[in-house]
This record gives sequence, structure tokens and C-alpha cells, in this order.
Amino acid sequence: MMQSSALLLLAVLLPFASLLLALNPRWQTIYRYCLPVLPLPALLLALLAEPGWWLEMPWLLNGGLWGLDELRRAFLILTALLWSVAGLFATGYLPDRKLRRFCVFWTLTLAGNLGLTIAGDIASFYSFFALMTFAGYGLVVHEGSEEANRAGRVYLAMAVVGEMAILTGLLMAAQLSGSAMLAEIPAALVDAEQRWLIMLLLIAGFGVKAGLPLLHFWLPLAHPVAPTPASAVLSGAMIKAGLLGWLVTLPFGQVSLPMWGNILVVLGTIGSLGAAALGVRQVRPKTVLAYSSISQMGLMVLMVGAALAHAEAAGAILAVLALYVLHHGLAKGSLFLSTAMAVPAGQGSRWGFWVLIALPGLSLAGLPFTSGAAAKLAMKEVLQPAGFGFFMADYLPALMTAGAIATLLLIWRFLWAQGQVARAGANPACMWLGWGLATASSLALFWWLPWHPSLPGIIWVASMVESAWSLAWPMIIATVLAAMAWKSVKQR
Amino acid sequence: MTANTQIPLFALLTSLLASVIIFALPEKGHRLRTSVNLAAAGLKLILVGVMVWGIFHGQSFEFAFTMLPGVQFVLRADALSMLFAGLSAVLWLLTTIYAVGYLEDSPNRSRFFGFFSLCVASTMGIALAGNLFTFFLFYEMLTLSTYPLVVHRGTRQALKAGRNYIIYTLTGGAVLLLAIAWLHGLVGDLPFRPGGHFSGLEPELQGPLTLVFVLLIAGLGVKAALVPLHGWLPQAMVAPAPVSALLHAVAVVKAGAFGIVRVVCEIYGLEAASQMGLLSGLALVSAITIIYGSTRALYQLDLKRRLAFSTISQVSYIILGVSLFGPVGVAGGLVHLVHQGIMKITLFFCAGNYAETLGVHRIDELDGAGRRMPGTSVAFTLGAFGMIGAPPLAGFVTKWTMGTGALAVGMDWVVVVLVVSSLLNAAYFLPILHRIWFAGQQQAWPHERRWGRLETSAWLLWPPLITAVALIVIGLLASMPFSPLSWVNLIVEQEVMQ
Repeated sequence: MMQSSALLLLAVLLPFASLLLALNPRWQTIYRYCLPVLPLPALLLALLAEPGWWLEMPWLLNGGLWGLDELRRAFLILTALLWSVAGLFATGYLPDRKLRRFCVFWTLTLAGNLGLTIAGDIASFYSFFALMTFAGYGLVVHEGSEEANRAGRVYLAMAVVGEMAILTGLLMAAQLSGSAMLAEIPAALVDAEQRWLIMLLLIAGFGVKAGLPLLHFWLPLAHPVAPTPASAVLSGAMIKAGLLGWLVTLPFGQVSLPMWGNILVVLGTIGSLGAAALGVRQVRPKTVLAYSSISQMGLMVLMVGAALAHAEAAGAILAVLALYVLHHGLAKGSLFLSTAMAVPAGQGSRWGFWVLIALPGLSLAGLPFTSGAAAKLAMKEVLQPAGFGFFMADYLPALMTAGAIATLLLIWRFLWAQGQVARAGANPACMWLGWGLATASSLALFWWLPWHPSLPGIIWVASMVESAWSLAWPMIIATVLAAMAWKSVKQR
Repeated sequence: MTANTQIPLFALLTSLLASVIIFALPEKGHRLRTSVNLAAAGLKLILVGVMVWGIFHGQSFEFAFTMLPGVQFVLRADALSMLFAGLSAVLWLLTTIYAVGYLEDSPNRSRFFGFFSLCVASTMGIALAGNLFTFFLFYEMLTLSTYPLVVHRGTRQALKAGRNYIIYTLTGGAVLLLAIAWLHGLVGDLPFRPGGHFSGLEPELQGPLTLVFVLLIAGLGVKAALVPLHGWLPQAMVAPAPVSALLHAVAVVKAGAFGIVRVVCEIYGLEAASQMGLLSGLALVSAITIIYGSTRALYQLDLKRRLAFSTISQVSYIILGVSLFGPVGVAGGLVHLVHQGIMKITLFFCAGNYAETLGVHRIDELDGAGRRMPGTSVAFTLGAFGMIGAPPLAGFVTKWTMGTGALAVGMDWVVVVLVVSSLLNAAYFLPILHRIWFAGQQQAWPHERRWGRLETSAWLLWPPLITAVALIVIGLLASMPFSPLSWVNLIVEQEVMQ
């Protein structure tokens, strides 16, 4: 018990402690090499965590409670892992100019992201969430260009409005539940008179972060302008904080809410297909990837909707959602990091390089025997329309297939765009290492990560052979479409 | 028991005597003056600490004598007075340190510090006053002792602001005196008492008492800068930075707000005041003030002026809190008395630092200041986020407590006011922070001064850093005993138990 508490505290406090390195400008070189180390205690915590690792701190704010359950554990693995490899990448990527400022905002954002993942009480959760939001601004505008400042303004304006919606929602929810803990909120919402308002505030407030359609405007502006390692954590890890916000506050498994389910499924569809439609028209690779994130979040919103609509299925869906989060975060992080990599010389290594860039992307689209295939199959398994009673349920399989096609179209577009701008040359060792670890963890490590016990068995390799065709045909369609588009462009 | 009667008097006398000694000291006795100042401030802090400890353990402290038949002079330390006295004692010490650094080598320091101590003695008296009459004495003494501070620079602008200030506050004082006299005529000399005096009231007194209430609020509202009585405050920011800091955080505006709290909670009583329908009006006026102040702040280009309008808005949180009918709302308002003080004094210290070190007064001159003055800028950033109400800083604790209190009594519209105000706060503070941290320096600083290794004089740097750390700590540890929130809960228990 002592050790778990110590590890919990260390995981959150280490980033804060590292701020001392900012006191002296000459220490910034040390600070740079600390970046990959800062999330490691959190990663250790996530890997070792056992049920009942909760730390009560009654003296903190309105009463603090930090710890991990199965859901938070998956989020924490992703968050800590991605921040660590992106930090490693950053040590090679960052120039010395304004390094200290970047390190400070990086650390604060990291602390917020880690903290909100393990916070069990409302006040800590909201504090860390706000810290991540405001410190994240420093990452978005870091380059200081006019474009970055504009993106920062949009980011901040929408984020502040989102924060206010969250605050109001949490205030009302806490008033209802009479408790300072997040865990009491879902039950309190069940027969609340103002449930619709509280849910609207929370869904919209966290939706800003999660890139919900119409609340997403900041995202394709802000994610690409940040320095590349920051883009990776923005799109891989921080975007998931909004999702986590929903998962810990909305009444999953307590009551079936078909109306909210329908709304979210529609929004998820708009997100996943609409973002793809906008994304394929983008020229810059990072912007394409940002739209791809919105599109992927759309698929996750789809699952959130289904879980809200059907209380009995919520447990299984949430487990699959955690899997999907992990898969998408690692793959997207790797893709973003690859945008800053220079193409190595030599025919063979060039081919290998492009294959390594493409693999996480293909994994997103559900390439058999990748993490994406596992996530997609598990998603199909839990979203069988037969079990659901709400209107949009019948369309779920078709929507998922359309989503898979849209995903791969975006990936082809990204690869094409990246091919246009990629420069040949050498990369610093830390960038190779960071990107390599991100790709490796997306492709290989994923299979060894600790799993939620209630995941369906279908995701394992053996059963994947049987369903290879169901995964492959949407990919073939997307590839044919992409090839046709490419050809028509070339002929023009 | 003799000690218990003497301590409130001594707490008052420390700054009063310091003031007399400082007036007597020659202008050149810089070191001696500073020692007297700091010793008095330290001593007072100890005395207040003793009283806080005593009250926590159920002791009482009272000093009283009869001035005129039917009119008593009462100094009494209760939980509520300690909230204000504690704030004033802590911030006096910090502001004295700051002022020593700020006024280095400037003329008339003897006069300045003399009135400065007198002003703090007045706030002590206001905090400890046990009835309206005693309160009024110190309230007016505050007016007279702050005037020389506002006009300290002696420029035309300062004199104009000072004239305005004195007209506003003396008129307010006259209205207040009228109201107190009328109340005395109606019901006699009333000591401040938790729960108030008017719970079982004869109906025929209701009309006059309502009128008296309006007059009392109007009189006190001048200092508390309630709209439309706020006109003096934005002008008074021409005063030197330590004066602005003290004026906005503790002395003047807080005296008004504290007076309103005393009147509502301990003369009328929360229950009676809400039954007579007095609180709805007060809530409305304070809500308007909150939004108005924040909106006006948006349009100010001068840093201190923007902060001044922000004060108008923030002080009304306190008044909105006490007009929320329920105990939680009152706690949220009262705790803001302390929280706003610490946040605003941080911001004014920082504004002073930018002005003294770089010669920067306007917001658009702040570009790149974070690089030149990181310590000050970190403190400013924390103060600004506290004002916005970002967790886990002090301002968040206020907002959360008030919001909870408002929802508990069904006044949902108050949450809307809080949210709108936070948005406006974000709109006028965040662009400043962007300039400080992310904009590149465009031109040379208007009047740069250098102080060796540190970014500015150590006397100027440490006070804002200390208050900035304090506003993190009192936010994070809001549930600990002796935190402002816990102390306020103790007060509210007494107010509601009656």
C-alpha cells in the first residue's frame, strides 16, 4: 500500500519537480534530456497497477482521491507511453532556441494529462484538465508564427468556453450527488430532473477536447502548427482526455438513454465521414492527420453513443473503447512523429522507411494482424445491432465499414502528401529512437500490454485469420478509390 | 482575563504607534523607519495569530467603554473580524516590504509610511469594531488616512483623482452616518452579533428598516465600488503601486465589502434580511457590478486601470455571496474576501514591478516581459489564472463554493453570472499573458533599471512571489484547518446557528 501511494504521488509530482530545472537558463540542456524520463513513473504505475490502488487525500481541495481502475489504466498506459516516446523524439527534434520555455509548457501539459487520468475526485480532475488545456496553449503557439498565434487564439477561445461548460456541468452534478467524487456522478444523473442539461454541458464541454463535430474547429488548426512531438501528444493522448471525461461522468450502465445514443451516433458518423471528406482535400500531411484524428474520434463517439443507448452493453463497449483508445493513440502518435523524419538515402532503406511509416496508418484502417484489426474486430463484436433497441443501431455495421474506408483513404492521402514534402537526409539518433519506439509499440508492444478482462476473444491472432476477409475488403475498396483519384490527378 | 481585553487594543495600537513614531522620525532615517515598520507589522501578525488561536479554542477578546450615554466604543475579536484582521496583518507586512523597495530614494517617505501605518490601523479598527458606531469611526479614519496616499505623487492627475476620491467617500460616509443615526433612533445601540437582531421583527418597523438598509448599503457601497458608486476607483489607480495594492486588496474596497457583510449578517441577520426581501436587491446590484466591471476592464489599455476595473467586479463576488440566502453561498462570498485580496495584491505588485523596472504601464508594452522578468511574470500569471477561477487556485475555491451555494438554494442564475464573469476575466487576462510569454519584444523598454543579478530589486520581487505561492497553497489545501475556507465555515456555522 505504501509503495502504491508513493508511486502514485511520484507519477504526478515528478513533472512538477522537474520545473526546478527551469530556474537556471544553463540547465536547459539537462532539462531536454529529462523529457522522456518524466512520464516513466506513471508508465510503471500503469503497468503494475492492481485493483484497490487508491490514495485518499482528504486535505486536498474538496477531498482528493487518486488511483486507477481498468479504464483509467488503459488511458494511463497510452498517455505515459506516448509522452515518453514523444519526449525522446523531442530531445532530438528541438532547437536550442526557446528550449526552456518549451520544456516548461511540455512538462505542465504532461502533468495535467497524467493527473487527470488518475484523478478520482472532481476537483483534482478538473484542475488537471484545466492545467493541460492552458499549458497546451504554450505548445500550440510555440513556433510563434502568425499562423500558430491564430490557431492558438481559436484553441484558447474554444477551450475556455469548453472549460466553462465542464465547470457548470460538474457543479450541477456534484450538487446532485452531494459528493466530491467523480464516481458518484453517473448514479446521481439517473433520475435527475436536469439530467439533459448536465449531460449536454458535459458532452459539449469535453467534446471540444475530443473534436466532436462543430466543436472541432480548433483541432485541424492547432494540432498541425505545434512542434511535431507536441502534435503527436495532442492528437494521440490529449484528445483522449475529452473522451475520458465522458466515460467517467456520463451514466454508462446505469440507465439506457436511446435519445442521447442516437444523437451521439449521428454526431460520430458526421465526425468520422465528414472529417475524412474534408481531410482528403488537405495538402499538408499534419493537417490530413489532424482530420484523421477527428475521424477516428468519430468512431469512438459512435461507441460512446451505443453504450449510452444500451445500459447492459455499456461494460463491454467501454472495454473495447479502451482498447481502441490505446490502439489509435499509439498509431497516431507514430504517424505524427514520422512527419518530421527525413528520408534516408539508399533504395532499400527508403523502401523500409516508407513501409514503417505506412504500417501504423494501415493499422488504423484495420490491416489484419495489427492492433487496428484487433480494435476493429472487437468493435464489430460489441456493436451487433441485434442487441440494441435504438433507432440508429441498425446502421452501425454499415457505418463502421464506411468508417474503415474513410480511414484508409485519409491514410493514402497522408502518405501522398508526406511523399510530396519529405526531404532526404539524416535524422538525429533521438528522433530515430523516439519514432522507432512509437512505431514498435504501436505494432508489436501493443500485443503484450495488459488487457481488460472483459474483452471479447475475437481479437486474438487465431480468430483474426478467419475474419481477415471482412477486414480486407473495405481496405481494397479504399485503395482502389485512392488509386483512381491518384490517376485522375496525374492525367490532368 | 486582563490579557484578553488588552490584545485587541494592542493589535490596533501597534500600527497606530508605528504611525506616530514614523511621523516623528527624520526623513533620512531610512533604516530606523524600516525597522520600526517591519517590527510593528511583525508584532501585529503575532497578536492576530494569538487571537486566531484563542478564538479557535473558544476564548473571547473584548475591549469596551462607554463614550456617550447609549453609545459604546467596542473592540471585539470574533471569527469574522479575524478573517479581515488576519488578511490585513499578513498583507500589511508584505506591502511594507514592497513599499520600502518601491519608494527607495523618493521624497516624502516619512509622510508616506506614516499615513500608510495609519491606514492599516484603520483597517484593524474596522475589523475589530464591535458595533456600527465604532465601525464608522475607523471607516472615516480610513478615508482620511488614504487620501494623502492617493495624492502622494502630487501630480495634477493625482490631485484630481484624490479630490474625486474624497468627494465620493466623504459623501458615502455622510450617508452612512445618517443611516447609523437613524438605526440608533429606531432600535438603539446594536452590537454586531452572529445571526443579527431582527429575526422576530414587528411589522411596523419593516418600512423604516428597509430604508435604513438601502442607506447603509449606499454608504458602504461607495468604498465597495458597487455600480454606480464606483467612479472614484479607476482614477485612484494613479497612486503608487503599493498603495493601489493595499487599496484594492485590503484597505478601502474591502472595508466597504466587510461593512456590508457585518450589516447583512450581524445587524439584520441573513434570515431577516432575506425575509424582508433585501437580499434579492443586493444580489442583483452585485451581479450587475460583476458583469459591468469585467466588461469595462476589457477595454482598458493601461495595466493598472484594467486591474482596477477587475477589482470592481471581483469585490462584488463577496457581496453576491452574502446575498445568496444559504450558508454555502455566504461561505463562498466571505472566503473571497481573503482570496481576492491575495490575488489582487499579487497582480498589483507585479504591475508595480513592470512599471518600476521596465517603465511599462500599458498592456501593449508588455511584449516579451516574461523573458526579462520571469519571477514577476510567473506571479502575475498565477494571479491572473486565480482571477479567472482556474483550478486549483484560490479563485476556483471561491467560484466552486459560491456556485454550489447558489445551486443549493435554487438560484441557478448566479452560476450564469459566475460563468460569464469568468469568460470575461479570461478575455482580458489571457491576452496579457500571451504578450508576456509568447510575443517577442518589439522595442526597448521605456525606462529600464537594473538591479544586479535579480530581475528587479529583491524587496519588489519577493512579496509577489510569496503571495503567488500563497494563492496556490490556500487553493490546494482548502480543506485543511485554518485555511481561509475552513475558517469561513466556522464563521458561517455561528451565523446560521442563531
